Amino acid sequence: MSGSNFEDVEDRDGVRFSWNAWPSSRIEATRTVVPISALYTPLKERDDLPPVLYEPVTCKASCKAILNPYCQIDTRGKLWICPFCLQRNPFPPHYKDISASNLPAELLPKYTTIEYTLSRPAQIPPVFLFVVDTCVDEDELKALRETLVVSLSLLPPNALVGLITFGTMAMVHELAYADCPKSYVFRGSKDYQPKQIADMLGLNPSSRPMAPLRPGQPMPAPAAAKFLLPVQACEFQLTNILEGLQRDPWPVEQDKRPLRCTGVALGVAVSLLESTYPGTGGRIMLFAGGPATDGPGMVVSSELREPIRSHHDIDRDSVKHFKRATKYYEGLAKRASQNGHAIDIYAGCLDQVGLLEMKSLTSATNGFMIISDSFITAIFKQSFLRTLGKDDQGFLKMGFNGTFEVLTTKELKISGVIGHVISANKKSACVGETEIGIGQTSAWKICSLTPKTSLATYFEVVTPAGQPLQPNQTGLIQFVTHYQHASGQYRLRVTTVARTFHEGGHPAIAQSFDQEAAAVLMARIAVFKAEIDDGPDVLRWLDRMLIRLCQKFAEYRKEDPSSFQLSPNFSIYPQFMFHLRRSQFLQVFNNSPDETAFYRHVLNDADVNNSLIMIQPTLMSYELDVEPHPVLLDSVSIRPNVILLLDTFFHILIFHGETIAQWRKANYQDQEGYENFKELLEAPVGDAQELLEDRNPIPRYIVTDQGGSQARFLLSKLNPSTTHMSGSGYGAGPSAGQAIFTDDVSLQVFMEHLKRLAVGASTS
Amino acid sequence: PGMAGQEQQQPPQPQYPSQAPGYQQPAYGQQPPVDQMSQQFQQMNMAQKGGAGYADQKQYRNVQTINLIGMQPDVRGLEAPPPPALLPPNASVTQSPYSQPDPSYQRCTLNAMPTTQSLLNKSKLPLALVMAPYRSFRESDGDIPVPVVEDSVIARCRRCRAYINPYVKFIEGGNRWKCCMCGLSNEVPQLFDWDQREGKPADRWARKELNHSVVEFIAPTEYMVRPPQPPVYAFVIDVSQAAVQSGMVATAARTILESLDSIPNADKRTKIAIIAVSTSLHFFSLPAGATEATMLVVPDLTDVFLPKPVDLLVNIDESRAAIESLLSRLSDMFQDSYTVGNALGSGLQAAFQLVGKIGGKIIALSASLPSLGEGALKARDDPKLLGTSKESSLLNSASSFYKTFAIECSSKQVSVDMFLFSASYTDVATLSALPRYTAGQTYLYPGFNASRAEDAIKFSTEFGKVLAMPIGLEGVIRVRATRGIRLSAFYGNFFTRSTDLVALPVVPLDQNYVIELQLEDDLKAPFVVLQAGILFTTCYGERRIRVITQAMPTTDNIGELYASADPTAIASYLTMKAVEKSMTSSLDDARSLVTNNLGTMLSIYKNQVTSAAGASAQLAVPDNLKLLPLLCCALVKHVGLREGAQIPPDLRSYAQALLTTLPTQALVPYIHPRFYSLHNMPADAGTIGENGQVILPPALNLTSERLERHGLFLIEDGQNMFLWVGHEAVPRLVQDVFDIPAYSDLAGGKATLPVLDNPFSQRVNAIIAKTRELRRGVYRPHLYIVKSDAEPALRSWALSLLVEDRMDHMSSYAQYLTTVKNKVNGSS
Ligand SMILES: [Zn+2]
Ligand SMILES: [Zn+2]
Repeated sequence: MSGSNFEDVEDRDGVRFSWNAWPSSRIEATRTVVPISALYTPLKERDDLPPVLYEPVTCKASCKAILNPYCQIDTRGKLWICPFCLQRNPFPPHYKDISASNLPAELLPKYTTIEYTLSRPAQIPPVFLFVVDTCVDEDELKALRETLVVSLSLLPPNALVGLITFGTMAMVHELAYADCPKSYVFRGSKDYQPKQIADMLGLNPSSRPMAPLRPGQPMPAPAAAKFLLPVQACEFQLTNILEGLQRDPWPVEQDKRPLRCTGVALGVAVSLLESTYPGTGGRIMLFAGGPATDGPGMVVSSELREPIRSHHDIDRDSVKHFKRATKYYEGLAKRASQNGHAIDIYAGCLDQVGLLEMKSLTSATNGFMIISDSFITAIFKQSFLRTLGKDDQGFLKMGFNGTFEVLTTKELKISGVIGHVISANKKSACVGETEIGIGQTSAWKICSLTPKTSLATYFEVVTPAGQPLQPNQTGLIQFVTHYQHASGQYRLRVTTVARTFHEGGHPAIAQSFDQEAAAVLMARIAVFKAEIDDGPDVLRWLDRMLIRLCQKFAEYRKEDPSSFQLSPNFSIYPQFMFHLRRSQFLQVFNNSPDETAFYRHVLNDADVNNSLIMIQPTLMSYELDVEPHPVLLDSVSIRPNVILLLDTFFHILIFHGETIAQWRKANYQDQEGYENFKELLEAPVGDAQELLEDRNPIPRYIVTDQGGSQARFLLSKLNPSTTHMSGSGYGAGPSAGQAIFTDDVSLQVFMEHLKRLAVGASTS
Repeated sequence: PGMAGQEQQQPPQPQYPSQAPGYQQPAYGQQPPVDQMSQQFQQMNMAQKGGAGYADQKQYRNVQTINLIGMQPDVRGLEAPPPPALLPPNASVTQSPYSQPDPSYQRCTLNAMPTTQSLLNKSKLPLALVMAPYRSFRESDGDIPVPVVEDSVIARCRRCRAYINPYVKFIEGGNRWKCCMCGLSNEVPQLFDWDQREGKPADRWARKELNHSVVEFIAPTEYMVRPPQPPVYAFVIDVSQAAVQSGMVATAARTILESLDSIPNADKRTKIAIIAVSTSLHFFSLPAGATEATMLVVPDLTDVFLPKPVDLLVNIDESRAAIESLLSRLSDMFQDSYTVGNALGSGLQAAFQLVGKIGGKIIALSASLPSLGEGALKARDDPKLLGTSKESSLLNSASSFYKTFAIECSSKQVSVDMFLFSASYTDVATLSALPRYTAGQTYLYPGFNASRAEDAIKFSTEFGKVLAMPIGLEGVIRVRATRGIRLSAFYGNFFTRSTDLVALPVVPLDQNYVIELQLEDDLKAPFVVLQAGILFTTCYGERRIRVITQAMPTTDNIGELYASADPTAIASYLTMKAVEKSMTSSLDDARSLVTNNLGTMLSIYKNQVTSAAGASAQLAVPDNLKLLPLLCCALVKHVGLREGAQIPPDLRSYAQALLTTLPTQALVPYIHPRFYSLHNMPADAGTIGENGQVILPPALNLTSERLERHGLFLIEDGQNMFLWVGHEAVPRLVQDVFDIPAYSDLAGGKATLPVLDNPFSQRVNAIIAKTRELRRGVYRPHLYIVKSDAEPALRSWALSLLVEDRMDHMSSYAQYLTTVKNKVNGSS
């Protein structure tokens, strides 16, 4: 399969495998270094999917696999054979007219991916609980209020909404109270137990006996209905409350940070949803204007002389609140995720808000994590409102309370998933021994899903060596995603993929390598490891894996680096690894802990293309009389007469070369006869707009000139082929690029090392 | 010789109807004014002669002995003034008619001071001051306003800090004054004889503090620990289901709303806060200028905190719109409340956090037993305990929270009033501890139901008066006395901060205090001076000192002691002691305390004064104490102390709260109710008399012998009124009074009497109305119609007020006298 084929498959099934042909034994699989793995996008948008308004046919054995185009069917006997457990299953009675020319959609080869709309509607529409920081400046609060009011109009009218505001105290607003504004106040410094919170809000069923519910009966308990109401019922009142929101009224001394009880507010939010709507779709949306400074989950004390922790502080293990806060938020994350509730964090603060401590909230629930310098910025407003984007039927592009399940035929086992999921603890026969990411289960909970949400799934081959499989035997993987659609229906997305096994060393295996997918899948492992292990260990592991892969698949003569050659579908892989090593995902010290948490969070949800941009940013060059074209992410690409457009996914940067910058300052673009220069200036701007269009979070948009202070964003990403160390002899002229002040090795040096190590006698 | 011969001139004093037979008009010794200088010389001469010689010149007061057995007491003497203090001539520097306080401000059990403690001990008479220094002032009653010294020249003794008063001596040509308490010679302040307003010399002898025993000084800044605080009111309102359904919340909110203009707020500084309490605390944010309140619910009761640093305690004017909006819908806000539970204690703590920085009044309104949070209580009113020695446990506090909290409140100048409404037990004994130690008051509305107009009107009227009360703030009372006299015990609603200082965070009108005195040294002077100073901030931000100075002669004669004894003050003192005893020991012991004290006194009187030996068929009492046995008899039969297993502990505790706080004017009728016959009252009764006041019928003895089957009677004790209708009442009477054709159609119970177009109805109504406003205080008695042959519970309640009768196993007055007589005889 070639590169474009990989993308076709991705378009159809939302899946990209590292290897599209699989070695047929465990030993061989190990030798291929990069594990058999796939990046799967369960809710990938696909226009041609038919609406399937009936229940799926499932295998009656315990495997519960779903009927798919790879099943053997017997139209006469009205039977099908489950490819996963070989169970013979009769078709249900309403499939009696089935024939080779009259097949239901799920048996048609083009619908290896299909989505069922289940007949059982969700009992509860999705719940949106706003948790809003009021320890912010007046203009910040004003902007935030306005954005929140706008967001109400984007929610489904029947969606339940609630509001918690916090500062020194946390306040749960009652939305159905007619007599006056009313809220329940919790002390910000106190660690309330979940039951206490439920009792205090009057939500504890034990203290208020209620008749048992019939199936299908809506259960808006009266107490819950105080705090969580359909948007259409409370929009007016909620808008009034939001518009009347005041800054936290408690005085803040000169040398203090405001007391901000983010931890208590989130604790109350989690308890509120947990006791009212467990096991149903909902999201807690935290808007944090600063770090928690009081109570459980406190990230930094309110004393300004105590700075907020850095990576170095954490490295030295000298952070007072870090472990306790992290543990607290992990506790909340666990409860929320088990109840199917997602937690989003929107940070609007120049400083850190404690994302590192809070990251489990979003990573266990696949909530959104968005950072911005302020709630006034477009980055915040648009990123937030974009999360509430709708499809062409007017439904939120957002799935809730999902479970993701993987089935495999017997030669494959599941090692684990890396993504924002938690284990659903399903110990099926498909579960493998090796654990990569979150393993020891064949099902995971994922509380929130977007069409971009992509999960990295890892597999192992279990066929013992010496007992090779039949030639061209196929293995099957079925991905089953059950979720609550924004329309109020439960849906089931099923993707079944088949790949062929080959014996070890078969060229089909090497040819099936998808270096882009593999880079992304390896990046996820590396980042997963980095969360646990030391940075240098992870880098050494990455290097070792790269060298072993090259040893296995490159062509070379032993101990002759110059003979080293990689086939095209492997050739860029080392470059990806080079940039991954240098990326903010693994080199954390140039960023704050919050930024690191944010970057890693986004990477772990992204599809292959976006991930690649994050790993190895794209660079376009624009110059007069030349079509815009991609250039090397290298310092040599910087030239005075070009404009560069850098896309790192998180930043989009337009960089004017020295000459262009001078011309622009002289306003040539406004003069007659310089229309072509004007067009040149506009071209990257237009392209940048296009990039911005579909992206979330909204990247930071930077326009800078050569020599400008913002240019560092570009320089830090470029391969330092020309550094201050490389001497004046090489490419000294202005057209030969710009020297970058760095001690990092260049790609060229990296490749030299790689070649030497790969061809060397050592197997490291 | 009696005192009548000395009578020359009457200061304004309560008058007693002169037609009373067998009663001797008391009189007041009053010397004609004499030349000031000669008087001073005279006194200096006397001082040189020494105290011992004085007794020789003195005539002892004669004691008239009366035998009580077989005599019906003349109840009209109950309001007679105390025997006068017969001061030596020229004791007062000005000879002002106002040099002794009206007994409503301060009176002493004895109006002559024994010269030694051993004489006092021997006499068995109690020695105590009974005072209501911050009593209200009613012009219509002929009260004179308390004169105010406005020039901030406050002359005080350097040593004992006594205030200058009519009983000091000017020496050294009037340049110095000699303290009547400790004898120190003090300089007369420079501006003492200077009229600052007019800028010219003034007449020293016209100075108010030398003419008036009750006087107020405007205190300069050195009397202030901090700038005068504004009046502050924090309302803690029970909004549990019981409270809302009884209509208490609506009535309370409406009353506060209607009182917003009458709450003291002269200088526009008054602040209020409202906290609603059920299973949670509900605070209301009332920002200045806002048109509606914001409710902040704090469900965390264990660790009370304020949900907001501002806008919870707000200026009554600035936040008027939000306050009005809140009060007009407060009850509706909790209408749907199904919560059962009352976190009153936590609500009080929250209110304290709000007002503690300033000080002020917390007014708690509770319609259910506090069951949650701090100070939660349990229904402990086990009926099996009633009538046993263990009943006293129910009169004591069940939780230390309320006393501890009260002392904390007192230290921060916070006072607590409790308005209690409950259909069932609400533990008045425990909750009343808060008002007790913070100078507040407890109000009880048993079975309150606002849908009954009478209930709503009574509560609303009393609550409205409490709100409009011109309270004093940050008050302390210190009593000073001539050297040798020591204060030994304090009774009343306050906290005793040190041996001679009691703290009243808020000084309420018309509360009574009793201070017991002892002699630690023999008294040498011919007379002694007792001076109460009450320092407080007015509710319009002025620091003031009200000084009450009382002088009385000393005596070494036991007969004179008896002759000077004040039965009302003694009854007041015994009430305090008995209530205390009922808590520390038992109700039995409390009643015995009263009767034994009486018996011992009369025994000493018989043996030491009348010198009668051996057993006697008579019970001899000094004439001035002839109603003391009746008061004692009534006291032991009062619901606060009465024997019996039928009295709900809440009613008992509430009665005790009243017994220990009512000023004597209200206490006497509360112990010994008034009883009138209406159907045959004199023609002028119920009409307006010459003094513009409604004429009341003559009071009857409290015995059912006076009840006639066809008659209409009124029995009242200031808290309740019973309109007794004989079952043979003629239809005409029933028609005229009740607008009902016949007795059989009349319904008994709580009622409002119609005002009908006939003179009798109007006179009866006038008497009822007059009775309701007869005495100082906020109370508006309920009127009950009692049919003589129906509703046994109500009937026996009314009859229980007729204390001269035998009731259950409690003796009649006659039997009581026999008991006392036997004690007297037995101990002789
Ligand atoms: Zn199966
Ligand atoms: Zn003195």
